[in-house]
Amino acid sequence: MMLTKRAWRKAATVALAAAMLATSACGSNDDKGKGGEGGSGPTLAIFSGSQTPIVANFNPYSPTALPGTLGSIYEPLFFYNKAKVGDPMPMLGESFEWSKDGKSLTVKLRKNVKWNDDKPLTADDVIYSFTNEAVKLEYVNEVKKVDDNTIEFTFKDPQFTNEYALLGATYIVPKHVFSSQKDLVTFTNATDPVGTGPFKLKAITDASYNVVKNDKYWDPERPKIKEVQYLGIDGSSTAESLFKANQLDYSTMFVPDPKTLTGNGRLGYLHMSSPNPISILTCSNAEYGCKGAQTDKAVRQAFSKALNRDEINKKAYYGHASLAAPTFTLPGRDEKWIKDGLPKLVPGSADVAGAKKILEDAGYKLGSDGIYAKGGQKASFTVASVEGWSDANAAGQLMVAQAKAAGIQVKAETVTLDQYTEMRQNGKFEMIISALFGTPVSDPYTLYLNYFTTQATTKVGTALGPKQTNFARYANPKVDEAVKKAAQTNDEGIKKEAYAVIQQAIVEDVPYIPMFHGGSQTFFNQKDFQGWPSEEDLYAFPASWDGLQAAYVLSKVSYK
Amino acid sequence: MKYYARRIAFYLVTLWAAISLNFLLPRLMPGDARSIFIDKFMRRGGEITPAMERSIDLVFGEKDASLWEQYVRYWGNLLKGDLGVSITKYPTPVSDLISDALPWTLILVGTATIISFFLGVGIGAYAGWKRGTIADALIPGMTLLQSVPYFWVALIFVAYFSVALGWFPIIGGYSLRDFPAGPEWSWAFIGSAVYHGVLPAVTIIIASVGGWVLGMRNMMVSTLSEDYVVTAEAKGLTKGRIFTWYATRNAALPSMASFGITLGFVVAGSIVMEQVFTYPGVGKLMINAVQDKDYALMQGVFLVITVTVLAANFLMDLIYGLIDPRARNNV
Repeated sequence: MMLTKRAWRKAATVALAAAMLATSACGSNDDKGKGGEGGSGPTLAIFSGSQTPIVANFNPYSPTALPGTLGSIYEPLFFYNKAKVGDPMPMLGESFEWSKDGKSLTVKLRKNVKWNDDKPLTADDVIYSFTNEAVKLEYVNEVKKVDDNTIEFTFKDPQFTNEYALLGATYIVPKHVFSSQKDLVTFTNATDPVGTGPFKLKAITDASYNVVKNDKYWDPERPKIKEVQYLGIDGSSTAESLFKANQLDYSTMFVPDPKTLTGNGRLGYLHMSSPNPISILTCSNAEYGCKGAQTDKAVRQAFSKALNRDEINKKAYYGHASLAAPTFTLPGRDEKWIKDGLPKLVPGSADVAGAKKILEDAGYKLGSDGIYAKGGQKASFTVASVEGWSDANAAGQLMVAQAKAAGIQVKAETVTLDQYTEMRQNGKFEMIISALFGTPVSDPYTLYLNYFTTQATTKVGTALGPKQTNFARYANPKVDEAVKKAAQTNDEGIKKEAYAVIQQAIVEDVPYIPMFHGGSQTFFNQKDFQGWPSEEDLYAFPASWDGLQAAYVLSKVSYK
Repeated sequence: MKYYARRIAFYLVTLWAAISLNFLLPRLMPGDARSIFIDKFMRRGGEITPAMERSIDLVFGEKDASLWEQYVRYWGNLLKGDLGVSITKYPTPVSDLISDALPWTLILVGTATIISFFLGVGIGAYAGWKRGTIADALIPGMTLLQSVPYFWVALIFVAYFSVALGWFPIIGGYSLRDFPAGPEWSWAFIGSAVYHGVLPAVTIIIASVGGWVLGMRNMMVSTLSEDYVVTAEAKGLTKGRIFTWYATRNAALPSMASFGITLGFVVAGSIVMEQVFTYPGVGKLMINAVQDKDYALMQGVFLVITVTVLAANFLMDLIYGLIDPRARNNV
């Protein structure tokens, strides 16, 4: 281990050379030089939530399919605009018609559509896309070809409620590629995925992937831009930095103060309410084994009344959230479904007197510690939130003081994501700040079915099944019956009647305490591109993480 | 020979225990991968199509084999070199994910660690040599840098050097605009990769150099009071010779030992650096695997880390046995 002086000097020279290589590389390289030949415009860089390392997977049946698979490469029969009420827009389908009893659905297909490998799209492809091993919808009896451009579904029961699932969320895949695969779930479809969508894959690495315009796309008007690059980014502070350095063009992400990004005019900004209502789950049903003060509906009602949602919104959600509806319909889109006489929104301010009155009417007495109690049971419970979800953590803290004013004792605690999922699954919790899956189209049916019916729940201590999400353990025969009734019809009047029964029950029982719809903030480059959705022209839900909606936006924007 | 046989046996037992713990620990954690996956999806606002719902069940619905059966299967697969398939990056084999990430980690974190070590030892030796002078003022400054949270330093660097001044790129291991098809063997690519590595490497060095400086400086001070240094001075040797060959060489020994271990830990990557710079690497695989309950990936990454750290330890043990006879007798 004896190093001579000369060897030391040699080592120093090598180090110096390496340093010079590094600095010379600095000068020769410039990240800002945007690609895209033809002089028409730069490659559009989008961030839609992918984290590195990116693993090539463009199989629409895989849970780990990359953003862009759905929408950019594969398309459904119809496009349902999640941002607005309206008729579905034809994509690979042209029109559809339900039979009166809802047991059959006929779909006319678009003619002259080609896969990006030049083969024509046929009725067989469409039928295969609804009947293959990976999709296998158990409510579908048969899908048959009527003629070359028409197919017909037949069902065992009326399936009006699955219209969106069938026409708007089932993606059409090429039979000639997929049917030769042994296992449709492990298939990665990583090289040259064959689809009908507006874009096709150009290149992929573990940090990003590029899609380019599909020249054989059926709509000659779209897409207008040539290339899109999906970036993998870890952490939204990095995405913010990229926006500031003009290296990112389109993303939906949380930024407390959007003005820091939109200040220089390059970025446009659109604020939308997420369809998923932020709500407090309560283990509400003592008959199903729930324990704690919140099993008394008076306590839940009083707690909901005691909350100052405006304050929580301002302090915990940076004012970006908007009030939810007590009926769990999406405000601004689903008003027509709300029963007359029920409030359209939850109140923003607290009603302390009202809360106290509910408790007193239910027989609670104010104790010397300022907390109501009845028969030895104090109006006291724990509100949990997931550690690291800082908005929910802050909301929990605020609730403590707000509830205290109405004589209710709230203990705010944080749990890990693991504990949280376990608590929800087995029902061993009192309250948790969480969110429900909203409905993509204007009809609250699936939300009522998944969160409020007895079939979607189990007793506390038994874990919920894979498709059961009635975390509140809510059980009400009236609601079950009404949900069943709504499934049988496509008649708006009858549906409204059924929903009225459900809404009356859940507003009264509050198994989930409605809070907000979180804000989704979309930023887009309006200096180089135009045609983005706006408040006036909401042709799609603009979130960059929503596959089909974002793909439609990408196909509509053009170079400026 | 007995010394080496005993050492090897010891390391084999440790290896077995470590690999078994690898298997056991993740399974003792609460939570289930399926609902975590769906929950993350929902929190992002995503929509699960009917077809995806079915495949989620298939991917995450692992059959409930007993823990023992799983353990036996785990060993069987391990011996075949099969680390399993990641569920968060389904259906990519874990070994692919790790082998893609490892070179980035080794080169960047490895280089940064080596630079940080030599820089730290150099500065420490100098500060120790000039003890009691203005050079000692370096020490508090350096240790302060080390105690500042790393992610904060890194974010400030990005905000200033990358965003405000535009000198350095913000993300990635290479330019995604220039190389959309991924890594290639060309000077342009290597240049791009070096350029992208500068800022992450600098932040790692800044955050870690202080420890080396402090350790080295203190060793240097105590070495300088040794008799053989006084003898060397009395013999009239040049200052440079005493500094390099009498003081620094001896004072660096303890630092060398911990340097060996630190090198072993290089494979673990640098979790925060990889997050801040969206830099490819092993640390990110690990943190994602833990958060998403991706057992196969978690085990794979932990395995690589344990084996490398054990190997580094083993190597240091052997070297110590070689250069220090006392270590051999003391087992």
